[in-house]
Amino acid sequence: MGITRRDLLKLAGVGALGAIAFNGCRIPDRELRVESPVALPEDQVTGRDNWYATLCVQCGAGCGVLARVVEGRARKIEGNPDHPLNEGKTCARGQAAVQALYHPDRLLSPLLHGQAVDWETAMAELAGQIQQNRGRVLLATNPLRGHNALVAQTFIQSIGGTLLAYEPLEDTVLRTAVKGLFGQDTLPDYDIARARTVFSFGAGWLETWGSPVRWGRAYGAFRQGRPGQRGLFFHAEPRFSLTAANADLWLPVRPGMEGVLALAVAYVLVERGMAHPPAAAQLTGGQGLGALTAYQPERVAAAVGIPAERIREVAEVFGSQRPSLALVGGSALAHTNGLFNARAVLSLNALVDNIGREGGIRFNPPPPAGWTGVPPAPFARWRQALEEMRAGRVGLLIVRGANLIYGLPVDRGEVEEALTQVPFRVVIGPIADDMAPYGDLVLPELEALEAWGTDWPEPGPGYQTVTFQQPVVRPFRDGKAFGDILLEAGKAAGLTLPWQSMREAVQDGARRLFALRRGAVRAADEEGFFMGVLQRGGWWDPQATGQGRFTGERLPATPPAPQFAGDAQEFPFHLVPFTPLGIHDGRGAHLPWLQGLPDGTTTVAWQTWVEVNPDTARRLGLLEGEWVEVISPRGSLRALVYVHPAIPPEVVAIPVGFGHQGMGRWANGRGANVFSILAPLTDQETGAFAWAATRVRLRRTGQRQRIPKFEGVVRPVQLEERPIILVTKEA
Amino acid sequence: MVVDMDRCTGCQACVVACQAENNIPINTETIFLQRRVIEWIWVERYWEGEYPHVRARYIPLLCQQCDNAPCEPVCPVYATYHNDQGLNVQVYNRCVGTRYCANNCPYHARFFNFWQPVWPETLRHHLNPDVTVRWRGIMEKCTFCIQRIRRVQREAARDGRTLQDGDITPACAQACPTDALVFGDILDPQSRVAQLAKNKRAYKVIEDLGTGPNVIYLKKVDPYAPAADHDHKH
Ligand code: SF4
Ligand code: SF4
Repeated sequence: MGITRRDLLKLAGVGALGAIAFNGCRIPDRELRVESPVALPEDQVTGRDNWYATLCVQCGAGCGVLARVVEGRARKIEGNPDHPLNEGKTCARGQAAVQALYHPDRLLSPLLHGQAVDWETAMAELAGQIQQNRGRVLLATNPLRGHNALVAQTFIQSIGGTLLAYEPLEDTVLRTAVKGLFGQDTLPDYDIARARTVFSFGAGWLETWGSPVRWGRAYGAFRQGRPGQRGLFFHAEPRFSLTAANADLWLPVRPGMEGVLALAVAYVLVERGMAHPPAAAQLTGGQGLGALTAYQPERVAAAVGIPAERIREVAEVFGSQRPSLALVGGSALAHTNGLFNARAVLSLNALVDNIGREGGIRFNPPPPAGWTGVPPAPFARWRQALEEMRAGRVGLLIVRGANLIYGLPVDRGEVEEALTQVPFRVVIGPIADDMAPYGDLVLPELEALEAWGTDWPEPGPGYQTVTFQQPVVRPFRDGKAFGDILLEAGKAAGLTLPWQSMREAVQDGARRLFALRRGAVRAADEEGFFMGVLQRGGWWDPQATGQGRFTGERLPATPPAPQFAGDAQEFPFHLVPFTPLGIHDGRGAHLPWLQGLPDGTTTVAWQTWVEVNPDTARRLGLLEGEWVEVISPRGSLRALVYVHPAIPPEVVAIPVGFGHQGMGRWANGRGANVFSILAPLTDQETGAFAWAATRVRLRRTGQRQRIPKFEGVVRPVQLEERPIILVTKEA
Repeated sequence: MVVDMDRCTGCQACVVACQAENNIPINTETIFLQRRVIEWIWVERYWEGEYPHVRARYIPLLCQQCDNAPCEPVCPVYATYHNDQGLNVQVYNRCVGTRYCANNCPYHARFFNFWQPVWPETLRHHLNPDVTVRWRGIMEKCTFCIQRIRRVQREAARDGRTLQDGDITPACAQACPTDALVFGDILDPQSRVAQLAKNKRAYKVIEDLGTGPNVIYLKKVDPYAPAADHDHKH
């Protein structure tokens, strides 16, 4: 900036910056003014900042964001205020996209058999492999939407092969339930802001589940957005999560019993005449209360772990304070009876007649023609894929964002054996993760802020929405976008693909939207339209809403009991894994802001902890910061004890996402991977991974250390005699 | 600023947004173990009661920009002072690190750089050029994103526009999904903060110390609060 110390003194001399000057007995006010250094000339930035609208990919929600770019570098992420999904807001994870972009351990060049090679060589190798393996390609990705999905599907169709998406905590059960009950292929939105009562079962909608920023926004309005009317929120979950902490009442339901609890509520609704008659008739096969006897609160209270009076109390409110809304997700679905739980809870919505109504379930339409998605394949399908690899039926495996070795509940050796049966493996990603060591070819991928793409958020805001992703900075590393890798290599291998590059594909998408001649962006010509959607961050059409109808059928007379891995005697605790606020399911483990984000209830950071009830801890002689071995029928790991005042005595909880081998300096070798001890149980009907169905026991190690947590960093100001958090009973 | 505790979920979007905006040093595991974490805005979580009648209460805390700031008079070198807009500001290049101000702040809102902050080479690219990177031995704290205030003021002056309520948003409030954080001019009776301050749930944290805090909190609503717990809070 060229301001020297001497200039500074000169400026000071003319009073732009006044040092304290004593002036006889009175000091003129002007002279007492000292300026903050951010307004000192040497700190002033003369450069302009530019804001670009793009897409957040830090989780699957797909918020629209703005990136602030100064001097060619992305500095800050903020929500796109125009975007209908998140309306200008972001979560903690969204902010960390700039750390992903400038991560010091990003791959610098392609690696062929561990040797750095140039892109030309790498792409020639890939093209050669594609040519040799027509019909025998497995493309394993993270769940895809928009043009990444479209390009991947087009690629796989033209070569002949399989495209499978992988997500450790898949949403197969929810999708199946929504499809079955409402005939919908897309996930619904929930009109939380206008509901009076929300009852959620396992869904961490204020943390990582679904569209947390959207629902966080709705939560604020639900509580305090309507003068004189404050929404009430009940939450049933075996673990006391951040979402549970925000509920007016938390119901520590026994693991796997969420569906029964929901139907006990249904029982009360029908009994008290509060149920919507057609829905009640559908669900009871026309037999009324008689069909629900198995769910009478008094009968199920013990099994569910909630006193009958409490169930009745909550059900009364849910039935009378309408609109009311029931959500289900998270661990409630991760059981062998997951689909039953999902159906039971979602059916409550029909009983309070909120389907498609204000304050109720709002359906999302399919995306506009030309937009597609690849939802995660259930664990049972992945098992089969491992089998296919082992049997030598896969000639070329291309992996992008599918950390199979880390997340599949199958022994490492078994996955390894399957992988090594594949003659050639390609791993694509910005940073070398747990899969990279298995890549014959490792290709550095561009980060989202450097690449082109589109997305349609799922769940969306209730109407058709397409988000555009554009490069906001020049590539910081010598990478290629995932789509470009497929298109270029495919082309070199002689495939006929409709686009040369992702940019072209995205522009083609814009052309399709332009042709619809509707929605929030209008322009005279295609070029203008493309500029318009890029400036705005996307395209949406509030008129194009979704419709659904409740088609639920008779509920089972007796509920399917959840199965657990591990004998209750030998393994006395239910293990509830959960996604922590920062690193999510592990996808944010490489980013220091997210590792260093104090957990929502324990405030622990940077380490794997296990939440243990105070009584349990006393009984076992465990203290905070003790390393315990958590042993399941499948394996064991070590974690630091956090004595958690709100976890049920029969439950222990461990965050997922730690214990990577790879993913850069902040993730590699840090903490323990809870997936490695989860038993490979599945939901009986969908084959989805039942990740909350493992039992464990704890073994003391006698080692102890200070636990890295935020609690206590600032001396507590909340004292008995001087509370800082004031509470009132009435809104 | 107004903080509505009945909206706040403790999601800490504000915390990371602030770290990103204000070049806050990376809080490594070692720093956590030393209890020297720096978060200009932080979310405190307090447990109340015992299982199963247990509550976790969250409060986002930050510098309260006190009218009568106890941190100011104790600084021997005038590194912390009051500006004409009522902000309590820290002049980094004047600070000599006595930490008197931190000792005197009843909100514990001041953070000391015990170590030289380290950003790996590449991560420096995302640093905000509007904000000074602080050195070892320097005290730092929330500025209400003074650089964002100045930028808006400058732009408004350039365009010959008067500032409107809502033009200035600190990074925390910008991110906050629930709109728990609202920033504005309390002296303008039309502003959102002035309106919210009239709410019957409004209070200021440990106001009885006479600090004159400029952050107004709105009480958490808890219709199911255990009676005893609720009584002593009134
Ligand atoms: S919710 Fe997901 S998509 Fe939205 S800002 Fe957070 S990480 Fe990004
Ligand atoms: S971002 Fe808002 S809701 Fe989240 S912790 Fe901060 S103040 Fe609370």
